[in-house]
Amino acid sequence: MSETLFELRGVSRNYRRGDSVVHAVDGIDLTVGAGEFIALEGPSGSGKSTLLQLLGALDRPDGGEIFFEGRPLHTLGDGALAELRLNAFGFVFQQFNLIQTLTALENVEAALAPHGLRGASLHARAHNLLDEVGLAARETHLPVHLSGGEQQRVAIARALANEPRVILADEPTGNLDSKTGSDVVDLLAGLGERHGTTIVVATHDAALAARAPRRVAMRDGSIIEAVPA
Amino acid sequence: MFYLRYLRSELLRRRVRTALTVTGLALGVALVITISGLSRGLDRAQKTALNPLAGIGTDLTVTRGVQQDTGGFAPGGGGGFRDVIQSNQSVLTDLSKLGKPGAHFVHDFFLPGTQLTFPASQGATVSKLAGVAASAQGLLLIAEHQEGTVPKIVAQFKQAAQTFRIRRRITPLTAAEQQSLQACLAKHGVTFGAAPQQQGQGGGFRRGGGGRRFDRGAFQQCLPARLRTFITTFRTPQQTLRQVLDPPQTNIKTTPYTIGGVDQTQPDIGLVTRKQVTSGRYFTSGGEEALVATTYAAKEKLKVGSALNLNGTVFHVVGLVSPPLGGQTADVYLPLKQLQALAHQTGAANVILVRADKSSSVKQVKSEIAQRLPGAQVATAQDVADRVTGSLVDAAGLSHNLGLVLEIVVALAAFLLAALLTLSSVGKRVRELGTLKAIGWTQRLVVRQVVGESVAQGVLGAVAGVVLGILAAVLVGAFGPTLTASSSTGSADNLLGAAAVRTAHETLTLKAPLSVTIILLGLVLALAGGLLAGAAGGLRAARLRPAEALRRVE
Repeated sequence: MSETLFELRGVSRNYRRGDSVVHAVDGIDLTVGAGEFIALEGPSGSGKSTLLQLLGALDRPDGGEIFFEGRPLHTLGDGALAELRLNAFGFVFQQFNLIQTLTALENVEAALAPHGLRGASLHARAHNLLDEVGLAARETHLPVHLSGGEQQRVAIARALANEPRVILADEPTGNLDSKTGSDVVDLLAGLGERHGTTIVVATHDAALAARAPRRVAMRDGSIIEAVPA
Repeated sequence: MFYLRYLRSELLRRRVRTALTVTGLALGVALVITISGLSRGLDRAQKTALNPLAGIGTDLTVTRGVQQDTGGFAPGGGGGFRDVIQSNQSVLTDLSKLGKPGAHFVHDFFLPGTQLTFPASQGATVSKLAGVAASAQGLLLIAEHQEGTVPKIVAQFKQAAQTFRIRRRITPLTAAEQQSLQACLAKHGVTFGAAPQQQGQGGGFRRGGGGRRFDRGAFQQCLPARLRTFITTFRTPQQTLRQVLDPPQTNIKTTPYTIGGVDQTQPDIGLVTRKQVTSGRYFTSGGEEALVATTYAAKEKLKVGSALNLNGTVFHVVGLVSPPLGGQTADVYLPLKQLQALAHQTGAANVILVRADKSSSVKQVKSEIAQRLPGAQVATAQDVADRVTGSLVDAAGLSHNLGLVLEIVVALAAFLLAALLTLSSVGKRVRELGTLKAIGWTQRLVVRQVVGESVAQGVLGAVAGVVLGILAAVLVGAFGPTLTASSSTGSADNLLGAAAVRTAHETLTLKAPLSVTIILLGLVLALAGGLLAGAAGGLRAARLRPAEALRRVE
């Protein structure tokens, strides 16, 4: 197995819903190696999106430990987590989460700007990223004028902006037709291979999950099966 | 720079939200500017109307008013109601002195009203007091202008016809008269027989012997003189005829006005000064000259060059003046000596105007005058200002009491509106802000962006607000309401009724003058509003946890 990127020990995350407590993630142990392409699969409410957010330092666990490259995400401060998100992680969302007032190019620039890029270099870098996902010609369009597949490509280009070590994709094909969804998965897989990026995809789409070399099946916040184990 | 482009995109592409926020701030700023301008305008108007003594170079006015008790700086003390009545008795119209019946007459009566006169020597006492830089005397009188036709009074008596009946015994002829008669008759040929008989009978008078007819003509000529003419004297008893006469018809019209005598040798302190001349000129030495208050001139259609006939002396209007409210104002001003002569008040005055050498001396001078001239009424500028009433005072009071509160309320309302809109905007952008955090934006960057957008809206609101505020101020200046200020001097005691009270009015058009300070205040307020709204929005954005923000369904 390659170098360990994530190590989760007994991680749990609970939510209050009225008087009851929902165990979204319930005592998970998991290890993710660098360069892996992993699919977290399971039905809605199985806890895969919550687990993805814990991996991406978007949330903190209520219990257990999460280590990224040996750093304890469960104890790091907000600033350190933000710094990790800026430099190590790239996110792709089901709803694309593009900023509606910015063009495709500016959406990518939004991820590059905090790195200190500005002017022509900022513009060139964003353009190249859009070119890499095949959307250079549509870079001046607002999200509202792009198709779902195009918007997701812009989101992937944005996720690649910081040359992340991990791309975390939450239902990336959930709002796409099967052909477009398949293209997006191909794009992610190809980028992962080309850049050596670890890709973790949360999906309830069995076909998409089947494309991943490693599959982790979840139910009610727990891992019920891991293939390969 | 990306962040500025992002900011610009947010403002331009969320036009409705931006327009609402900017409009809210702009209205707030415009209102604050307008209210401040109005407040400033009212302050200016107040300074003009409510600081009346400053305009006549005076700090204190000294008068002798009506007092219930006796004593005071009156000639021989006094100052009570009896003095008021005595001083004002000359208003009685003596018809016999107005001219011949049917003749047109014009007459002016001059009365001190309730502001009693005192010898001019009292003014000298005041001028010598410590702390007095200058003083001048004035004579302020109520004038009753009467004009009409001297009525004719005709009395007609009817007396019944009288009959006098006289019965008197005539003295018989004397012997001498008889002889004379006989001789005369004989001369006419009439002889006497026996005793005179009837004609045709024997005896009696006969001409030429018996049988002659009685000669009446000869007899008339021969009678003694006392029997030819009856002469007597009657004396009727003395009697008194008494008849009530109806009042004569008359068209006498009485018009009251006020008149002031000004010491024209001191043109910078007095009832009216050179500063108050709005057209024409101030008095020159000598000559029958008059100054007329602009309001009275407008009412009576007088202008520079008009003539005023006051009891036969013609005064020429040489200037129109705008006397300050609350001061000792009059409708017509004459040189002091001229008025004293007209009003038969030689050497008298009823007001002393005093200027202190410095403002800190005013209190001391007031006290000194009150001590030296017992019973004197000494009024300071503040006392006079307190007498001014009217819509200007009400509006100024409102401005003082509510202006600042209103400005704060309006500014807070604008801030609140901007903050609510910004908070609402942040609420609607939760997922967007969560995404920014997910892609590595630090909390500081997110807050800076939100605050930056609010500040930019604040700048736009400030510019729009200042433009609107200036426009509103211009409109107020063009169509502003008029405010009045009134001031009454004298007393409203029932002795003389309303005629004893002199009321002056001043009408001012409200303006809203702006200053750089007010405009800067508007700018700062809008920026502060933007910052406040940004701070509220930024705080909310800072509290967002990325995972929660991303879970939010929009």
